[in-house]
Amino acid sequence: MKPLLLEISELASIAATLPFSRSISFQKIPTKSPPPLQASSTQLQPMEELPPKLQEIIKLFQSVEEPKAKYEQLMFYGKNLNPLDTQFKTRENKVEGCVSQVWVRAYLDQDKNVFYQADSDSVLTKGLAALLVNGLSGRPVQEVLRISPDFAVLLGLQQSLTPSRNNGFLNMLKLMQRKALELLIEAEKGDGSSGNGQIANDNSEKPVENSTSDSKVDEDSGVGFSSSKNGEDSSSGLGSRGTRIKKKLEKELSPIELEVEDVSYQHAGHAGVRGSDGETHFNVRIVSKEFEGKSLVKRHRLIYGLLDEELQTGLHALSIVAKTPSEVEAK
Amino acid sequence: MVEGVFVKLPSFPFLNPAVSPSSPNCRLGFRRFSASLSAVVKEGSVSLGHSTRPDFPILHQEVNGSKLVYLDNAATSQKPTAVLKALQNYYETYNSNVHRGIHYLSAKATDEYELARKKVAAFINASDSTEIVFTRNATEAINLVAYSWGLSNLRPGSEIILSIAEHHSAIVPWQTIAQKTGAILRFVSLDENEVPDVEELRGMISERTELVVVHHVSNVLGSVLPIEDIVIWAHAVGAKVLVDACQSVPHMVVDVQGLDADFLVASSHKMCGPTGVGFLFGKSNLLLDMPPFLGGGEMISDVFLDHSTYAEPPSRFEAGTPAIGEAIGLGAAIDYLSGIGMQKIHDYEMELANYLYEKLCSVPNIRIYGPKPSDNIHRAALCSFNVENIHPTDLATFLDQQHGVAIRSGHHCAQPLHRHLGVNASARASLHFYNTREDVDEFIRSLDDTVSFFNSFK
Repeated sequence: MKPLLLEISELASIAATLPFSRSISFQKIPTKSPPPLQASSTQLQPMEELPPKLQEIIKLFQSVEEPKAKYEQLMFYGKNLNPLDTQFKTRENKVEGCVSQVWVRAYLDQDKNVFYQADSDSVLTKGLAALLVNGLSGRPVQEVLRISPDFAVLLGLQQSLTPSRNNGFLNMLKLMQRKALELLIEAEKGDGSSGNGQIANDNSEKPVENSTSDSKVDEDSGVGFSSSKNGEDSSSGLGSRGTRIKKKLEKELSPIELEVEDVSYQHAGHAGVRGSDGETHFNVRIVSKEFEGKSLVKRHRLIYGLLDEELQTGLHALSIVAKTPSEVEAK
Repeated sequence: MVEGVFVKLPSFPFLNPAVSPSSPNCRLGFRRFSASLSAVVKEGSVSLGHSTRPDFPILHQEVNGSKLVYLDNAATSQKPTAVLKALQNYYETYNSNVHRGIHYLSAKATDEYELARKKVAAFINASDSTEIVFTRNATEAINLVAYSWGLSNLRPGSEIILSIAEHHSAIVPWQTIAQKTGAILRFVSLDENEVPDVEELRGMISERTELVVVHHVSNVLGSVLPIEDIVIWAHAVGAKVLVDACQSVPHMVVDVQGLDADFLVASSHKMCGPTGVGFLFGKSNLLLDMPPFLGGGEMISDVFLDHSTYAEPPSRFEAGTPAIGEAIGLGAAIDYLSGIGMQKIHDYEMELANYLYEKLCSVPNIRIYGPKPSDNIHRAALCSFNVENIHPTDLATFLDQQHGVAIRSGHHCAQPLHRHLGVNASARASLHFYNTREDVDEFIRSLDDTVSFFNSFK
């Protein structure tokens, strides 16, 4: 589970109300506990919680009864979608699990409302994408994050909601929500930088095999918190110390796998932590050739040595998993 | 007698007595009736599709408000009542663990399980039932050969020859094994008929070749490879041949001794049997030399704390409790298919294949992949295709939701092939002996409607 920085308490309270969030321990934050996903099939999210434009779109589809006409309406949306520039048709913007190709781009305006653009080579998927783009654009991130995909049944498009690899619609929505959250976190970190233009995540930091969350879409992959096993870019959740740790290890050990996780919140309140800036405890998982021939103790000493400066200035503890590439392969 | 025919041809509306003789419906109906009846009469009997349909309860349903037209048989086949009954009977009357039990039920289960093995052997003309290893499916069977035979026979520089049209299950295990052993994979491309280039394959075979992995029938191109010839060329240099027969065993006579194949794999679920079981055929002398794949109970002879000895094939490769009921179900499927006769099934499907291809060609701007059928070139009863400017997923979605027609869209587990063809995905309609000409007609009608719908939107 990827924890959020505690400084962003606003986000924390939102996160706790997400339909998918589980087992993120936030202390002393008032929450209204959301209904679990299974129950919501009998109890749809109230329409008023959805963005106004989305509500309009839903009502429009409900008023169109004939299935063929619904498709025409869907394709009409797709046809009128603003074209997406080729430079944005990147791997990070691709919706996984679609038999057709779908790209979604997101950006924030000055007021931190999220806007989307999308494209697809399949007209039906483009229509669905357009529906979401039109319904969600221009709204505050919190509102977008609150949307449960159940509304799709109201459209009457027989859109499956099975969280499977092939569910393009569900995966589109999840990607849009994840991007909105990431943009907001970046924006908050950058001290309210205007956040115009590009997706805030520095693409070069993402590992090459960026398998996104829907490779295993289940209740555990909370929107925006999904950390699939292969290392979703965790730097978007790390503060300055976490980033320094990551960079140091990358530079000195050239790892083929590296995950740095800030678990300070788990220790907040105990003696070693009080008075520090909050980044005190980290989990590090690292796979590197540098460890070959070294005993476990030697590997840990090596890492502690590299991070000595951090340890002198407030880093309290590291939980380390250090393996060689062949050890990982042999598993 | 005539009534009997009517019952089996439910799609003809002219039976409605309220229609007056002069109305267009009746005239049209009468014309259709005579045309189709003469077609039926020409065959001498009711078509195989019509006579077998009643055996498949799943086909008689509506989806999304239309009659189901199931054209995704290359993905999985439907099961006749006989197979369903065999499964139910197993669990209701003699379910028990096999091979080591003493009591009555376990003896019966063992007998039936081993009888199923004999049926598989006879079905593909293996010389002995010990040459049949039950696995979970064809994919597991290929992995068995890769990890067991492959790891002990391949060295750095050994060459494995495949075609770019292979199914992922026939490619990926060999990529893993090649990495582990230093063997090299070489791929044969397609020729101008859009089938794997057999001459190129022949040219690639050398003393470095240890294994040739090829499909018998392609699940995308519908083409058939000359396995006998390939085996002769491979054996001349001491190489082995692994035949992926998933799309051939269910549709035609397959004779492993005639082909002289070293290994052959197939899945039960594609041949009217249940999911969860498949088999590997391996020549006795090869299996005897192969180390175990999965370890555990059933495949051992004696177990000590520091080592164990292993059973003879096929048990050596069947660790743990097998899919007993499912294997027996496969046996029942083989009985059913043999009852019809694989040659008869093949002949009927050839007709249907040509009909499908011909009718598909009439769709404007369509591109069908694979060879054009001719006297020399026979296609299997499947067609992968694309319609210009319409995404195959859109086609498949609309066909399903508006017409109840089930086809598949995607890469069909053949990404390298699609990359070569220059497309991301294709649509595929695949038939089996319980499909009828009317199924094809309905498919084409629906496809025309679908294409017009999407085209009208451009």
